Amino acid sequence: MNVSRRRWLGVLAGASGWFSALPATRAAKSAVRHLLASGGAPRDYDPTQHRWLMGLDVDRCIGCGTCVDACKRENHVPEAATYFRTWIERYLIKKPKPGSGELRGEVLVDSPNGGRDGFPNSLVPREEILKAFFVPKLCNLCEHSPCVQACPVGATFDAPDGVVLVDPNYCIGCGFCIQACPYGCRFLSPVTHTAEKCTLCYHRITRGLKPACVEVCPTQARVFGDLLHPTADDPLQAFIRNNKLGVLKPHLGTDPRVSYAGLDKEVR
Amino acid sequence: MRSFLPPQILRLVLLAVGIVATYSVGRLLLTPKSFGEYGHYRGAALHELADRPRNFAGAKACDECHSDLRDKLAKAPHRGISCESCHGPANAHAANPDLALPKLTDAACLRCHLANPARPAWLKQIQPSKHYSGDDGCVGCHLPHQPNDSP
Repeated sequence: MNVSRRRWLGVLAGASGWFSALPATRAAKSAVRHLLASGGAPRDYDPTQHRWLMGLDVDRCIGCGTCVDACKRENHVPEAATYFRTWIERYLIKKPKPGSGELRGEVLVDSPNGGRDGFPNSLVPREEILKAFFVPKLCNLCEHSPCVQACPVGATFDAPDGVVLVDPNYCIGCGFCIQACPYGCRFLSPVTHTAEKCTLCYHRITRGLKPACVEVCPTQARVFGDLLHPTADDPLQAFIRNNKLGVLKPHLGTDPRVSYAGLDKEVR
Repeated sequence: MRSFLPPQILRLVLLAVGIVATYSVGRLLLTPKSFGEYGHYRGAALHELADRPRNFAGAKACDECHSDLRDKLAKAPHRGISCESCHGPANAHAANPDLALPKLTDAACLRCHLANPARPAWLKQIQPSKHYSGDDGCVGCHLPHQPNDSP
């Protein structure tokens, strides 16, 4: 193989020029990234040093909808009644027909506007109701998250602090995670066209604040805490100590970390 | 110059080296710097999500100016309820106290205290049509911060 001297020199010059351009590209990229990242981010926050968890007490939820409203306002969730990061469901269990020998009658579940404006009195008369209660719902922070497994581009991930997050820069808006989540906790944002979900108010908890829904809950039906650093009067520790805890849909093997106290077996 | 490899093999080797080099250089350039910081995702995403603005100030911010109201509330049945539960998001108000929070109406009381069969029995609930109501609404008889006392 004969390679002329002129060609060799050309190849060498091209290669050296290309290599010298590498650091310049790097510098330009980091400058752009620096420009895009706004100030005030808690750089001292180390996600490996926390393990967040939320607990929900069904017996304490009064269905006022303050949490739903706060979540929408804090996280700029689209107003329409189909987009929620957290919502409340009302379970209404009717009395069984007399002489039927049944455990219970019909189970009715509703969530008008996610419970944001409270719940109107249902059409079922009071004397026909066996029992009724409210169940607040949000991302269940699964240990084995189906949404993370379903994401084809790796945009959804389990952060080391126990929160399941979506990287909006990576999300392509395919909606697989929305199909995968057995708890219906995700939606495709009509604004960003990416998947959105409860982040446990990541912008708040990283600054030592409670998530907005926990902050405003008037009955402490929602408790929040850090399992790695329990404080002296930690409401989450008291919640875990004083209640028999359950999770939603345990048979799916998703191993949700969000724990419920006072769950009825009808709750899905 | 005679090559030690047959030309067709040499071409294949060069092609393979080229593909691998292009891949590695592309990966080097395109992979975000923070990728793999905590796992198989962009570590900077955590900080970007943590960087979003907030609307609710949190109880500590309220305490800075209104600790007297907090102490009053602590002795009343409404203890443990955060200011922003009823008064709404107050981050703007905390940053600039001249921005007043919206006035509350009876709807704020009824949001929790309207009778509903699904509400737990321990919660005090009223049916507005059967409950005494004067011209001043709820606050005519109940102090919102000490609901068992009258003004």
